Amino acid sequence: MTRTLLVVGHGMVGHRLVEIMRSNDLNSAWRVVIVAEEARPAYDRVELSSYLDGKSADDLSLVSHEFLNDPSVDLRLATTATEINRGPRTVTTADGATVGYDALVLATGSRPFVPPLPGRDLTGCFVYRTVDDLDAIRAAAVSGRTGLVVGGGLLGLEAANGLRLVGMRPQVIEMAPRLMPLQIDEGGGEILGRLVRDAGLPFRCGVAMRSIDAGPGGEVRGVTLTDGTTVEADLVVFAAGVRPRHELADSAGLDLGDRGGILVDEHCRTADKHIWAIGDCAAVGGRCHGLVAPGYRMAEVVAEQLLGSDDTVFSNADTSTSLKLLGVGVASFGDAHAKTPRSLELAYTNEKAGTYAKLVLADDTRTLLGGVLVGDASAYPVLRSLVGHQLPAGAERLLSESRYGVSS
Amino acid sequence: MSNVLVVGNGPASHRLVERLHRNGHQGTITVLGAETRPAYNRLLLPSVLRRSLSPGAIVLPAPPAGVRVHQGVVATDIDPRERVLYATGGGSSERRETVYRYDELVLAMGARPRLPDLPGAHDTAGRLVDGITALRTIADCARINGDRVVVLGAGVLGVETALALLAGGHHVTLVHPRPHPMERELDTVAGQLLADHLAELGIDTWFGRHAVGYRPGRLLLDDGQVHLADTLVLCTGVVPEVGLARRAGLSVRRGVLVDDRLRTSAEHIHAIGDCAEHQGEVPGLIAPAWEQADTLATLLTGGHARYRGTPRVLRVKAPELDIASFGSLRGLDHSDADVELVTLTDSTHRRRAKLALCDQRIVGAVVLGLPDAIASISQLYDRNLPLPSGRLDLLLGTATGHAAAAELPDDAVVCRCNNVTKRALLHAWSSGARRVSELTNATRATTGCGSCVSAVSRLHASLESTDRLGASRLDRAS
Repeated sequence: MTRTLLVVGHGMVGHRLVEIMRSNDLNSAWRVVIVAEEARPAYDRVELSSYLDGKSADDLSLVSHEFLNDPSVDLRLATTATEINRGPRTVTTADGATVGYDALVLATGSRPFVPPLPGRDLTGCFVYRTVDDLDAIRAAAVSGRTGLVVGGGLLGLEAANGLRLVGMRPQVIEMAPRLMPLQIDEGGGEILGRLVRDAGLPFRCGVAMRSIDAGPGGEVRGVTLTDGTTVEADLVVFAAGVRPRHELADSAGLDLGDRGGILVDEHCRTADKHIWAIGDCAAVGGRCHGLVAPGYRMAEVVAEQLLGSDDTVFSNADTSTSLKLLGVGVASFGDAHAKTPRSLELAYTNEKAGTYAKLVLADDTRTLLGGVLVGDASAYPVLRSLVGHQLPAGAERLLSESRYGVSS
Repeated sequence: MSNVLVVGNGPASHRLVERLHRNGHQGTITVLGAETRPAYNRLLLPSVLRRSLSPGAIVLPAPPAGVRVHQGVVATDIDPRERVLYATGGGSSERRETVYRYDELVLAMGARPRLPDLPGAHDTAGRLVDGITALRTIADCARINGDRVVVLGAGVLGVETALALLAGGHHVTLVHPRPHPMERELDTVAGQLLADHLAELGIDTWFGRHAVGYRPGRLLLDDGQVHLADTLVLCTGVVPEVGLARRAGLSVRRGVLVDDRLRTSAEHIHAIGDCAEHQGEVPGLIAPAWEQADTLATLLTGGHARYRGTPRVLRVKAPELDIASFGSLRGLDHSDADVELVTLTDSTHRRRAKLALCDQRIVGAVVLGLPDAIASISQLYDRNLPLPSGRLDLLLGTATGHAAAAELPDDAVVCRCNNVTKRALLHAWSSGARRVSELTNATRATTGCGSCVSAVSRLHASLESTDRLGASRLDRAS
């Protein structure tokens, strides 16, 4: 007898789950219903900025023709789930429909965090998460004018790059003392800052927003910072982090993590045995992961259970990040901030070459725990795979030999 | 044949005289010392405070026969045209003025403590009141009394002094206006590690605080704190002693200006050591003073030599700490030069190293808590050798071979405090000093800060095994 898997959310993680199910459910034990809020099927949000760089929404799409015509998949786009009825095991949608389920997987993702600032709702304020957001930014962009990005993390730098692609002059405001504070340490931040500035992107760190100021027509004219300075800007993009979308689960009486997110166990299962949560909206053991790689891992964990095995658990989320932005390679992996007790840090800085490389080692001085690379992230794949292992002799050379020709 | 007159009787002067003699100087050598005691190694005053050395033990070897040393003599004026120097003191009458004629005059007057403008610290004549002393002379050591001692200034001398007094059983408070100690040498991270370490050792540390006033037995800080001080020790830097040179019309900036031949602006007058300024540098360290003395001794005995500056190497002389600084890291972080910085941070064990490399050679380094790295870096730096590829091994001391004293070149300085080379130790060995204690008695190696004890022991062990090897070869041959 065919059972129904209901997936709420068709982002990268929700789609990955369905893909795994479709390729591994050889006996067609499950039919899949997807309730998706956006009007587009799943697309590559990580590559979102390329939408402003000549790619079309179709280019970003993760969904194949076969998938759309798969009779076992019922994809309902532009449909918002409004309520979970745990007793009868149904979900109600905004258009009044009711969908029954045997298994419900919440993959509702996250929403951009917009700090509670005066003026945050003015015309000219945007977030940077969906293709629709980017369409709106493109429509509002004024070539040659300043677009201010709130947040100098991964997303903020992406957004700044996006603004530049639509002809604006981006400027970034970051509250922390350095760019990408979650991924990059102080030493790497110094080099990154210089490279980003050299790439023509002005930014200010260590200062927060006080307000967004309106012009005579009620549209954004500029912002005021906490140090009292003002910056003229025609457009503001909030890229100050995301918050898990847990409302649906919350109103159904499911527990949340202390810092939000739908509380699930290591199997990504809620206290209701028919309901799971994966991706940005899930708080595994209380902790949310705002990256796609841990989300994919959660999708795998849930798919295995639905297909009859529950051996796999979600653990040791890989928070590694590697990107190339404005021509600057950046990578952060493992215990990048040396939080492991008794760990030690070995860093290489070359101001002229614009490179920074740090290894975090366990107190045996040999086991690699993590690291940070800025300016040249070419050693990232090798180093990342060495995390948890003893550094082979000469591993340090990876960091410098190719560039400086270390004599042995 | 020339008559050399040296003003000053410290380590620089002592070295010059010894080298003049060794180079076969023809003519008289006269030394005028303001202190009423023979020359001694000022660097080791903290060891005297620590009572690991007696004041007598830091006295430098007696000058070669024929050298006239006048103690308690203060030079007052120079007449460069007539080549005479006026001085008071010495002999029976302190007031008597003596005239010294010279062919070549050498100024080696050193430096004097820089005294802070601290209300209540000076009497009407401008002298420090009782209960306050600088630390520049053996006499200063005797002025430190009482249980509670406050050390003002946490530069190298301040840190060494605080630790020495702590080891001597005093309750020690260390006050420093900057956020961390030794800011000239250490970056913020290393400075903080050192600050933590000093506090953990039991020193009452107050960084980022200014002293604003002194009353007998009490030091007042800018935040209103009052610290009891049976003795207040001022370790607030030194200034080159230039009064005499200035009065004589010599060119003076911070120090007495000298060229590559250690010549001042006046003919037949030279300057070396802490009072001399060469190429804008007044190093205030012993190694440059020695190198200047050596150069000048060569020149004054008819040889060819030029002084081109001395790489700055600084070692904190306290057994509780392993801190060394090589060259300068200043400006390197933000310069455009092709400099690679390698830093190792081990906060748990308070270990930190920062190396600046250019073309794989060390141009600057600061090392804290890593004695093996200090030994290796010291040799690589002195000899300008390229670094081995495993920097981590080098810093952690897990590399092999770099620090083995037996592999040192003969002219490598093993004991920096007493300037004992490997050659001197080998010489002592072949002269019959077969035990470590005999080697140290003969050369004075290890009697300074003690940081070279392991290097000397290694050298001794290697000499012994080489000897045994030689003996067994002889056995087989016979």
